[in-house]
Amino acid sequence: MDGVMTQRKTNEKLGGKDLINIGIYAAIFLVIMTAISMLGFIPIMMPMLSVLCPLIGGITMMLFYTKVKKFGMITIMTIIIGAFLWVTGMGYYPFFFGIVCGLVADLVAKSGQYSSKKKTVLSYGIMCITIFGCFLPLYLDINGYFSTRTSFGSDYVEAMTRIFRPWTAPIILACSFVFGVLGALLGMHFLKKHFEKAGIV
Amino acid sequence: MEGAAYNPGKLDRGLIMDPRTKLALLVTVTTFALGGAGGRRCEMLVPILCMVPFLLLLTAKRFKTSIIGMILLWGSSMLLTFANTRGMGGFLYYIILGSCGVLGRFLPCIMMGRYLMESTTVSEFTAAMKKLHVSDNIIIPLSVMFRFFPTVLDEADSISSAMKMRGIRIGGKHASKIIEYRMVPLMTCCVNIGEELSAAALTRGLGGEVKRTNICRIGFRLQDYAALALCLIPWILLIMDVVK
Amino acid sequence: MIEFKNVSFSYARTDEASVKDISLKINKGETVLLCGESGCGKTTLIRMINGLIPHFYEGQMRGNIYVDGTDITQTQLYETAKIVGSVFQNPRSQFFCVDSTSELAFGPENMGLPEDEIRARIDSTVDSMKIRALMDRSIFEMSGGEKQKIACASVDTLNPQVCVLDEPSSNLSLEAIEDLKNTLLGWKEEGRTIVVAEHRLYWLKDICDRVICLKEGRIIFDIPMREFKNLSEEDLRCHGLRAVNENLTMIPVKTESINTETITFEKLIYNYRNCDALNIKNLEIPRNEIIAVVGPNGAGKSTFSKCICGLMRGFKGNAVIGGKKLKGRNLLKSAYMVMQDVNHQLFCETVMDEVTLGMNEENEDRVLEILDKLGLKELSNRHPMSLSGGQKQRVAVASALLSDKDIILFDEPTSGLDFYNMERVAELIWSLRGQKTVFVVTHDPDLVRRCATVVLRLENGHVVNTNSGGEMKDYEREKEKCYCTAV
Repeated sequence: MDGVMTQRKTNEKLGGKDLINIGIYAAIFLVIMTAISMLGFIPIMMPMLSVLCPLIGGITMMLFYTKVKKFGMITIMTIIIGAFLWVTGMGYYPFFFGIVCGLVADLVAKSGQYSSKKKTVLSYGIMCITIFGCFLPLYLDINGYFSTRTSFGSDYVEAMTRIFRPWTAPIILACSFVFGVLGALLGMHFLKKHFEKAGIV
Repeated sequence: MEGAAYNPGKLDRGLIMDPRTKLALLVTVTTFALGGAGGRRCEMLVPILCMVPFLLLLTAKRFKTSIIGMILLWGSSMLLTFANTRGMGGFLYYIILGSCGVLGRFLPCIMMGRYLMESTTVSEFTAAMKKLHVSDNIIIPLSVMFRFFPTVLDEADSISSAMKMRGIRIGGKHASKIIEYRMVPLMTCCVNIGEELSAAALTRGLGGEVKRTNICRIGFRLQDYAALALCLIPWILLIMDVVK
Repeated sequence: MIEFKNVSFSYARTDEASVKDISLKINKGETVLLCGESGCGKTTLIRMINGLIPHFYEGQMRGNIYVDGTDITQTQLYETAKIVGSVFQNPRSQFFCVDSTSELAFGPENMGLPEDEIRARIDSTVDSMKIRALMDRSIFEMSGGEKQKIACASVDTLNPQVCVLDEPSSNLSLEAIEDLKNTLLGWKEEGRTIVVAEHRLYWLKDICDRVICLKEGRIIFDIPMREFKNLSEEDLRCHGLRAVNENLTMIPVKTESINTETITFEKLIYNYRNCDALNIKNLEIPRNEIIAVVGPNGAGKSTFSKCICGLMRGFKGNAVIGGKKLKGRNLLKSAYMVMQDVNHQLFCETVMDEVTLGMNEENEDRVLEILDKLGLKELSNRHPMSLSGGQKQRVAVASALLSDKDIILFDEPTSGLDFYNMERVAELIWSLRGQKTVFVVTHDPDLVRRCATVVLRLENGHVVNTNSGGEMKDYEREKEKCYCTAV
């Protein structure tokens, strides 16, 4: 009788522990994100969200990635984040973005067996594109939307479209990705510096 | 029936609606007020839809939130009108336009979201998800998340107390490390509590192969049908538009 | 009912085995107490019975454990859950739902039982445990004792034959322990097999039939409770156990007071929603003494400590220390709280950085002197989070000493500690006497008798009596109505 334990296989069904872990890290991530969004309440600061959220969220998510061993965990995570953003009034785009980005991020991480550092960084960067979903409604159909508000005058419509010029969209998108990558690196730095020593990895 | 005395959804919350109705309202408000779908045909409906969340908040006895929201919405649109009639220009104008534009679009959705969150218990929510045939793989993390929010906030609060006692403040001499000082204890504490929570949940049989039951009772009532009917109008208009 | 066959286990990432070659049989209906000093392996044994080892905590395991004939090591956790119910140490972290009714339903829901059956089970549990008043409430608003009751009740709804409890009383007040005792007695009457791992033994002496003491992963004795009760204090001490016939009176140490200086707190008044109110007009205490703050849950102890440390927003009162009047932010500067969960207050990468963080000027000699005094000198380059609980506590004390605080407040410093560790905390606190004014908020009579020089008893936000050096002083409860929501 050799009672030696082996770790569970990677392609097994998601267990209770995994699902709880997703919930816990989602809660931490969203609390941090909401705290940062308070800054975004000054609406002109809103684009800053695409910088700060991925960056600081990286610390949480890198810890989460150490617990990810099975396919689906990252997807569920982004779906939940997307659903939360939807429910808190950011529209349903983050939700759909969440499904797509999460799947891609999950596949990327999976291709590195959930342990390759490079793949993890890339995967988190992709995951962060979800945040761009919050900004999308501001760009989509902007003329159509403001044309219904003709009472404000054509100046207003013109000014509005000037603020949300289409070319700023790719910048925000790129920002969320680049700062996602940077956030992942920051998170890994923290893992080494603190969390491994604290014994919670 | 004696057992019916315990209902996790039974709290003093004013008008009770089925969470599914609330979700339908949320989808409708985000689609038409935020997304601007439907164009001119729905123009008349948008202001009505925008008012729905505020009225609902009133029915749920969240007077303060509702009134603050209404003042914000009204104030921003007044400011816009004011800025336009004055023919303001320059940087300030753009800031006002940007702020008010964003606020005006997002506020109804945010309020609708708040209504959904504040008037629904976690059990009702999971029961609704169950009825919508959402997989347990999503329901379980979601309910953990809702249960964990207060814990994270609690921990964050204790940590900021500890920081105050140590004289670590934004603007102090440790400003550059403020994120590190906040994040490291927060993560450590939350992860430890999370570990204990998973252990407790697993010893009570979470993660089995059988289908989970849910004892929370939800169902449609008169007010739900009324709200759903309201939701249907813009969708029908939209479909008519597309069909044409 | 429970059988261990040559079981050994060591956790992943550790070299030493926490349990070594244990064979043990527990009969049906027996109530067993597992005791021993911290790290003796009693928690590991509990985790083996409920299957968390090897299915949740990973490591190297040998041997087999049978509960009711099934091999736990080969059974999935959700199957084990039907026969073994578990209650844990921390009431804050073991509930899964937000409201109490869902929490009770959680276990049966996982089993997929029909709805009517679940409701019937909840009903019978509520009746047998008399917790009707706790139903349909938010668990977050409950006291520690109430939360622990809900934890027991949610085990009860699964109706397991075996119940295991891992240090269930650590975070409870004396009153709440009494409730827990009644719950256990109820389970015993129903014929369940109960295994309790505990440090505080007194409340179990009428419940348990058998006592198993562990040391370094091995059983050192296994005797009936009758015999255990007759063991002398010295025998218990050498195994690191607390007294069985624990003295529950909170009497301070009898000493001459060291000085006549006093600290006065004025207008310790605070009222607010969701929290215990505090209503003390004027409180005078000797300076540089050790003051134990005791009282039942909801008496206002946490509000009291937050006010004293200046952490309460909108608190209008003040303190007079050495003729200086301190208010608000100045109070915050002169007081320091060592929190129950010390992890909240460790920020830096090394112990050295940590203790010098709040210092006004660098003074290496003083830092080294204090580190040496607290036995932290060798640890000064370690990461604070990697230390043991007691060491973390001492790091927090060191940083308080170095940042020149006048008042140090300990919040439940001994919850969940064995005899040795409790004694060490008491020594640490005692060593601060004469330098700092120390407040100790605690439920632990042992600690009070060992280090406090003044005992302050709070009830409903009032000081009911003080006891300094054997001198008892009763206060006339102020007649005015006290606003009190949470009792």
